[in-house]
Formats: sequence, structure tokens, C-alpha cells
Amino acid sequence: MSKVTAGLDRVTRVPGVRGALIANSADGLVVAEQLMDGVDGRAVAALAGSLIARLARTAHSAGLRPPVFVHLRGDEGSILAAPGADGLVLLAVVGREANVGLARLEMLAAAGRLA
Amino acid sequence: MRALEPWVEAPLQSFLAESSARLTLLMTSSGQVVAQHGFGRSLDIMTAAALGAGIVASTEELARLMGGSRFEALMHQGSRQSCMLSAFSTPRGRWIALVVFGPETSVGIVRLFFDAMVQQLATAAPREPVRPTPLLAEDFEHELDASLKALLGR
Amino acid sequence: MSDDIRTLTTRLAEEPSSLAFLELAESLRQRGKLDAAYKVARGGLGRYPGLADAHDLMARILSDRGDLAGAFDAWSDALRLDPLRTGALKGIAFLYFRAGDVAAAIAHLERASEADPDDPSIHQALARVRRESTAAAPPPDTAPAPAPISPPAAPAPDSPFTAGVEDERGVLLVDANGMRLAGELSADDGSEAGDRVAAQLAGVSREAARATRLLGLGTWQSIAVESPGAHLILTAPTSETVLLVTRDASFPMARVGLIADRAARTARSWLEQVG
Repeated sequence: MSKVTAGLDRVTRVPGVRGALIANSADGLVVAEQLMDGVDGRAVAALAGSLIARLARTAHSAGLRPPVFVHLRGDEGSILAAPGADGLVLLAVVGREANVGLARLEMLAAAGRLA
Repeated sequence: MRALEPWVEAPLQSFLAESSARLTLLMTSSGQVVAQHGFGRSLDIMTAAALGAGIVASTEELARLMGGSRFEALMHQGSRQSCMLSAFSTPRGRWIALVVFGPETSVGIVRLFFDAMVQQLATAAPREPVRPTPLLAEDFEHELDASLKALLGR
Repeated sequence: MSDDIRTLTTRLAEEPSSLAFLELAESLRQRGKLDAAYKVARGGLGRYPGLADAHDLMARILSDRGDLAGAFDAWSDALRLDPLRTGALKGIAFLYFRAGDVAAAIAHLERASEADPDDPSIHQALARVRRESTAAAPPPDTAPAPAPISPPAAPAPDSPFTAGVEDERGVLLVDANGMRLAGELSADDGSEAGDRVAAQLAGVSREAARATRLLGLGTWQSIAVESPGAHLILTAPTSETVLLVTRDASFPMARVGLIADRAARTARSWLEQVG
């Protein structure tokens, strides 16, 4: 099992996680994915990738370094993002009841191994 | 944004708003322009349409020779702007889109909302059959001129 | 009523979602029927808030009505949606020129020229602005300061964040156009970063709303951003505003979230009072 697959696997085992994927944040295209039925990885990569890129520009405007973790919360669930090296970003789609704290730790660990 | 047929407007407008594309040209596979956004001159439209239709015809022939299916899209990525050329089916026949976009958006966003536009066009297209028209009608030049004026809003 | 206006009105009535409002409002504007043009354009903008043509049209109508600040806003919106839109660049250049800010007028016209090098009207405008600025320039030591057009009125000096959220610094309330309503934000070097960040936040809010909607996650509630050195929370106190709260990274994110909740309540009350 590759490092990438192993990282996705650990994230998707967290309760409430509907899927995880690695995307290129500049292109918004999927690099690898492990998703439950009904989760559109291509849309997640494009939409979340675009949002992360904009947040990075906002952080830069504020004189801050790029984000290491982002939690976009909707009233029906969330998107979690952990940018890694080489413009890759690890993304997860989670339900309302998900253990976001555990998912965050797994994602930060997995994102650190992205290259 | 200008379209020769009103039913194209809403899907194209939605695509433009969501994708942040700088230039968009929709044309038939023979290079007849259906709608445009961002072009300022008729010469640019005619040239882009002819080149786009030619490139799609070439790559589809290449795909046929290699025994594969048609290419979904051609993407040329540049540092200042990128270009997507894609052929797609509509109830009015096979159309081609040429989309130019900059770093303010991404390939993923453009493709995501482009696919949504293709679906919306399929839904919005009037259902009456298309009457074949002669390739070079007697008033071809007049029609071309009128179409370009409509597309440029003049 | 002329034939083309009658035709366009009928078309718009039959198909309210069409883009016929653009031609109708423009025809009305050209005939000097500015109130009617404004109503039609406003209705169209309500349907197509992401359409640069509609903002451009609205700017021309507002400019004709003498509402220059409104025109400035509308052209700014058009440029946000279409950064190479020459009509909006020319319009803003015109407003700057009228206000005496020749440098800003030339900068916008040069951008328009880069976007469309073949438009002779841009070259003519550039030549005219340069010529008139040279002719009108007084001796350097007596030159009065230009009166630039300020983008929209500055926020009221009083702020909702003077009490209850510990510290106004690091709290920013922004409207839907990315203009600061209240609060302050400093960069690490001490410089004021509020306006720069505000300009980005409207786009963040739109992207967040789009992502949660299209991915079936409902309405966006908040964005928590961990950056080395800082924790940020974004929320939307109302549908037309965005609130940013930043704190040092030593603050636990959940605590920043509580501060943001309190600030959002304060902002809502303040907006009701000043609105």
C-alpha cells in the first residue's frame, strides 16, 4: 500500500468521514481518492481547491503564512483541508456528527507525508 | 456575452459567472459561431472559430487512427492564461467550445462548470428538428456579417 | 414608446430570466429614461449578480444619474467579475479624471489599453488625459493635492467591537463587496492590512457558499483557518456581511470560535442599529 493510499485509508476510517482525496490545489484536479457513493470527488477537488487557494491569498494579504488546516462548516456537514507539499492538498468530506478533531489529526499526519 | 439564440444565454451566463472564464466561444463543428463572450473584434472570432474547429477535427481524426474514443478536451496551460478546447454533443448536433481562462480560476473549476453548462444546454435546446442548410447560401456573406454584428453587440 | 423598447419589454415579460434586460435598460438609458433604466437593470442584477455586463450597465446608468460613488462601486464589481473589462476600466478612469486623480485615471486607461490594444477610443482618452494633465499642471510647489474619488463612504467611526470581544484589533466586519464596515487588522510589520484582507473576504464568502451548496453540505456556517502564528475564524453574521476574527495561534481554535460567535451577535445588533 502506498503512502498516499495509506493516508487516505486512515482518514476515511474516522467515524463520520464520507471520503477523502488528494487534489492539486492550483488545478483543482483529483490526484487520488477514496470516496463513499454519492460524493463527487471532482467537484470537491475543484471547489475546495479554489477556496483553499483564495484563503491562502487572504492569509498572504494579512501577512500570514499559508494555512496548514482549514475547516469549512456547513449546516449539513463539513469539508476539511490539509495542504501539503508540492501544491497538493488532502481533502475530506465529513458529516455533521463526524469526529472532526480526530480527522484533523489524521489529516495533518497524512498531509505531512504528501510529496 | 452575446448569443445568436436566446436559449443558449442562460447556460452560458451561468458558466461564465461560475468559471470566471475570460473568453468563451461556442461554435458548431463546422466552425459556425453560436455565442461568444469577451471577444472584441469580428476577425478574432472568425479566426478563433476556424482554428478551434480545425484543431478538434484533427485530434478527433488522430483519436480515430489510434483506435481510441474521442478526446474529451484539450488543455493548453500557460503561466498567464490557459485554454480549453472541447467538443460536446447537443440536441442541435456536435458543438465545440473554446474557453480561455487565467490564474484567477482553475482547470478543475472550468471543467466542473463547463460540464454543467453542457447539461443545461441539452435541457434548454428547443426540440424541433434541425433543417439542413446549404453550406454556402446565396446570402452567406450577409448572414455572416449579421451574425458577427449580433455577437459583438453592434 | 419606440418599437425596439416595446419589443424588448415584451420579450422580457415573456421570458423574465432572459438577458433582454441588458438591451432594454441600455435603450432606456440612451433615451434618457434613467429611472426606468435603473429599475430594469436592478431587476436584472437581482437575477444575474455574477454578470459583469449587468454591473457595467448599472454603472453607466448611475453615472448618468450623477451617482458617481454608486457608479464607481458598480464598475468595481464589474472588474471583480471580469478584470479585463475595458468598459469598466474606462468608466473608473473617467471618474478618477473628473476627481482630479490623473495618475489613477492613466493607470486604468493603460490597463484598458493592454486588454484591448485595438480600441482607438482608449488611445484617444489616454492622449486627452495626458494632454490635459500637462496643460493644467501648476508649478510643483503650488500644486494642490488631488481630490481622489474615494471608493464608498468610510465606515462610521464608531464600531460594534469596542466592548465584549476583548479587543477590536483582529476583528474585521466586511460587506458583500469586500468593503470594510468595522474593525482593524494589522500585519506582522504593524501596517494596516484591513482593507487588503477585506477585499479578499467577499470572494471567500461566495466560494464557501458555492462549495457547501454544490456539495450538499447546506449553508456555510464558518471557516476555521489554522496558519502558523495565527488562528482565524470567518462567519457570516448576516447574508450580506462577513466577519473575520483572528487571534494568536496560542489561542485554542475553539476559543477563537467562541469569540467569533460573540462578535457575530454584536455585529448583527450593530448592523440593525446603523442599517
